[in-house]
Amino acid sequence: MNSRKKALLGGVLGDNIVLSGLMVISPVIICGDTLKNAEALVYAFTALTFLSVLICSFVPERLPYTVKIILYAMISAVIYIPVKLAAQEFFPGVIERIGIYFPLLAVNSLIVFQTEARFFRMKRTDMAVSLIFCIIGFDAVMLITGVLRELFAYGTINNRIVDMNTVISGLSHPFGGFIFLGLMCGVYRFIRGLISKNNEVRSNADVSDR
Amino acid sequence: MFLIDELIALLAANLILSQALGTSTMFIAADSKKNMLATSCIITIFTTLGSVGAYFIDSLLPDQLADLRLLLYTVIIGVLYVVMLTVSYYAGKGWFADFRKYIHVSAFNCAVMGTLFTISGKAAEDSSSFDLGWYISAGFEAGIGFVIAALLLAAAYRKLNSAKVPEAFRGFPAMLVYLGIISMAVYSLK
Amino acid sequence: MLKKARKERLIWLDIMLTLLTLELMSYFYYGMRSVALAGVCMAVSVAAEFVSLRLMKRKFTADDLTCTSDALILALMFPAVMSYRVAAIAVLFAIIVAKNVFGGRINMIFSPAAAGYIFVLTSWGRQLLQYSEPYTKTGVFEKPAALVKSASYVFNTTRVFPHTDFEMLLGNFSGPSGSVSVLLLCVAAIVLMFRRSISAGAFIGTIFGTGFFAVVTPVLSSRAASLKYSLVLNMVLFSAIYIVSDVRVAPKKNYYAFFYGLFIGVISYVLVATGVKENAIIIVSVLFTPIALGFKNLEKKIEIAEKEHSEAIAAESTEGEGAAVSE
Repeated sequence: MNSRKKALLGGVLGDNIVLSGLMVISPVIICGDTLKNAEALVYAFTALTFLSVLICSFVPERLPYTVKIILYAMISAVIYIPVKLAAQEFFPGVIERIGIYFPLLAVNSLIVFQTEARFFRMKRTDMAVSLIFCIIGFDAVMLITGVLRELFAYGTINNRIVDMNTVISGLSHPFGGFIFLGLMCGVYRFIRGLISKNNEVRSNADVSDR
Repeated sequence: MFLIDELIALLAANLILSQALGTSTMFIAADSKKNMLATSCIITIFTTLGSVGAYFIDSLLPDQLADLRLLLYTVIIGVLYVVMLTVSYYAGKGWFADFRKYIHVSAFNCAVMGTLFTISGKAAEDSSSFDLGWYISAGFEAGIGFVIAALLLAAAYRKLNSAKVPEAFRGFPAMLVYLGIISMAVYSLK
Repeated sequence: MLKKARKERLIWLDIMLTLLTLELMSYFYYGMRSVALAGVCMAVSVAAEFVSLRLMKRKFTADDLTCTSDALILALMFPAVMSYRVAAIAVLFAIIVAKNVFGGRINMIFSPAAAGYIFVLTSWGRQLLQYSEPYTKTGVFEKPAALVKSASYVFNTTRVFPHTDFEMLLGNFSGPSGSVSVLLLCVAAIVLMFRRSISAGAFIGTIFGTGFFAVVTPVLSSRAASLKYSLVLNMVLFSAIYIVSDVRVAPKKNYYAFFYGLFIGVISYVLVATGVKENAIIIVSVLFTPIALGFKNLEKKIEIAEKEHSEAIAAESTEGEGAAVSE
């Protein structure tokens, strides 16, 4: 994979914003204990981040950094209103489930800081592709966390009882979220290390072949 | 005995250990004592002064317009952000060069905004808490909570980043597990 | 390095010998169930250690058997009738999450047994705090019909301890399978302290902190009785020996270790006295891990400063000698 492809598509595996960048981890730790919560967060994060970053990309570049950061946060806070109204319409119960973590998603570092440091250095189409993959990366982690924590903590998947003899109820609590995410980060890095080593071997072989 | 009970209560209500608010900011700040101290102090200033603004917004904002709360809180934080940068600029060029980055990191993050929403939520649940003094003390307490959590992390920082820790877990993953175990101990005290 | 490794093995042997004695007492009171529980815990700990070391690309050596002492401590803190599956999960958590994620025995942060115990407390608290009466011997796969609360819980809530001092010394009261034999624990503490297998400073600090507060702010009308029960119940003595005074976790110098133990003793006493928190000392010992690490960092800084100071003095004296020769 060349560096441009990596930059565009890396948001899912190579440079996952949660597992590698440790961004937007509070909602994953606190609300990621059931699949329903995870679905709610996936909707909120996807809608808020995609729309906010796209609209923020029209903010003039020559403005001072501080002004731009404040504008990004305010744009995202404005977008939060229709997203919340839509959530009330189409996903009733979502807002109650994720509580204060819904508005907090509006000031997530992907919108406020990464826009400036990462996305706005790209062409607009590249930025959109990279953003979509970053969002997919978050969504995937959120859903995996939701499914596994619900399974082990409550013995259910999407509120359906699964035949589990022993449930670890502690996993549903914030500390369970911390520990689970820490272990998941470690496993992700371990696997990424194995894959990147394989890549190196392959590239070396390619060089020697030539 | 009273002091110990208060300390336990402060730990139990800690915004990082119980709500994971500002965890990423703390991880960024924990790499040196100076970073940690400066970020913690600035976050405490933001939460304390921000809670004053939150009090006025909560008391003036009608229920029908509750959706505007996030926007108004963002405006408050934005104003504080500019004010703090201006103050540090006039405090001296060395100061400004030193503290600018901490102000940038501390302004818009879950620790500050989450504190304002948590305080607002608690005040809405219990009307007796709805006064300016309570808002300020709650904001200050949240900032102190951040300082305590940062100290807990700073004590283990060297060990968590040591070469003895498996490569896959070195740094952030080990920090998350460490905080998780401390948070588990705090939870079991409740 | 070789000396250090040998010392580590000797410490492990000392700890294991005292723990096995406690396990023997537990067998005497609760039968084969308690031995089977300890066996399961130790087997799982060895398997977990072996697998995680392989994943870390390290060799499993004799020193890595120290995981068995952590597993045995955990087994002795459980009721004899604890589910094997839960015990196995607790050991896996203790060995993998609380120990090997941080680098294993060469980079210890938490006491694995304490972290494992709290993990069980948060997920299976009810099962963990219900015990069978002494002499209720169950088969390996059987469960007793009636379970009771521990004598510590009864004392914490009613301030009554319905047993004689002799029964107390022998551990003839309901509680964790291995941590109630007071006489054996006292002997173990003395032996381990004299053989320097536990941190004497931390042990004395914990006992002094708990004892001092028990006398100054007694929970009973008699200060002596308050002192006695505060030290014996709620696993204070057991934790003071095997968790707080663990040489891998406690500060190295006895002076700092004393204060570390003192804080743990005082705070756990207050929590038991005011919050009726059973076995609070284990929770407090995990919460105080950052304090132990802080003390260790301080010790390291002092060591470096002392080294630099002695080097500076040596350099000055050689310069002085050089000047005298040139003169």
